Amino acid sequence: MSIVKRRFFAGFMGQQTKWLNSMAEKGYRLVKTGKLEYVFDECEPGKYVYTVEYVGDRSLEEEEKYKAFLEDIGYQVFYKNMNLAYSTNKLTFRPWADKGGKFSTLKTTFNKELLIVEKENDGKPFQLHTEKQDQIDYYNRMNQPWYFAMFMALLLAVIYWPNLLPTAICGSLAVIFMLPVIIMTFKIRKLKKEKELEE
Amino acid sequence: MKDNVKSGALTEVTFFILLSLYEPKHGYAIMQFIDEKTGGRLILGAGSLYGAINTLTEKGWIEPYGDSDGRKKEYVITGKGRQIAEKELQRLRDLTETAASIMRK
Repeated sequence: MSIVKRRFFAGFMGQQTKWLNSMAEKGYRLVKTGKLEYVFDECEPGKYVYTVEYVGDRSLEEEEKYKAFLEDIGYQVFYKNMNLAYSTNKLTFRPWADKGGKFSTLKTTFNKELLIVEKENDGKPFQLHTEKQDQIDYYNRMNQPWYFAMFMALLLAVIYWPNLLPTAICGSLAVIFMLPVIIMTFKIRKLKKEKELEE
Repeated sequence: MKDNVKSGALTEVTFFILLSLYEPKHGYAIMQFIDEKTGGRLILGAGSLYGAINTLTEKGWIEPYGDSDGRKKEYVITGKGRQIAEKELQRLRDLTETAASIMRK
C-alpha cells in the first residue's frame, strides 16, 4: 500500500536524509518524489538506506551522467527540488554552475538541485564522498550559491544606502547567508588538516 | 582526489583503482575489489569513485572499455596507467626497505 507524505526540507539535506531513513526503518520505501510530496510503498523495515546529495552546480548533461553512474552501481536515484517555484517559465542565473548549467530552466536543471540516493542496507554507513579531497570539493561547491546570495544582499545594502530600513534588511540577510558558509568553511579547514597527516 | 605531485606518491584509492583495472571492471566491481582487497578497511563511496574515474580518464591512466551500449560502463587501465602503477610499486618498495632498515636496528 502506498502512502503520500508532504514535507519541504529546502536546503536542509541532513534533516531530509534523517527523515527518509526513519521512514525506511519503519518499513516505507520511497518510490516517487514531487515538489512537496513523497510517495512510499511498504517494505521490509530497515531494508534500504538513503542519502541526499547536492548537484545544483551541474549542467543537465552532467547531472544525468552522474545519475546514470549511480544507477549503474545499483542504487535507486530520484531528483529532488531544493526550492519552491510554481511558475511555468522559470529562468534562473547560476553563475557558480558548470558550463551549460549557468542558466537553469524548468526544462533543464531547475527543480533538480538534489539527488536522493537509495541503496539496500548492507550495515555499512551510506556515504557517497569518502575521499577527503572530494569532500572538500563538495563543500566548496555547496558554498558557492551562498557566497552569491551574500554578495547580492551586500550589493543591495550598498545601493540602498543611506536608506536605513532596506539597508538594514539587506545587511541582515547577508549575515544570514554567511552562516552556512562559516559552518562549511570550518568543516573544510578540519578536513584539510586531517588530509595533511594522512596522505 | 589529488595526488601528491612533489613526491609522486599516489593516494591509496588511486593506486587501488589502477590495480583493480588490470582487468576491465564497471564501477560497482571497482568498489567491491577495494573492499575485498583491504578487508573492508578502505571504503570508497560512489561519488568519490565517480570523480576519480573522471580524473583518471582525463589523465589518460584509464579508459572506457569496449562499447557498453545498454550495459554497465566498464573501464580498463592504459599503458600510461601501468607505468604510473609500476612507479608507485617501486616507491613503496623503497619506502618499506628504508623503514625496515631503520626499525629493525
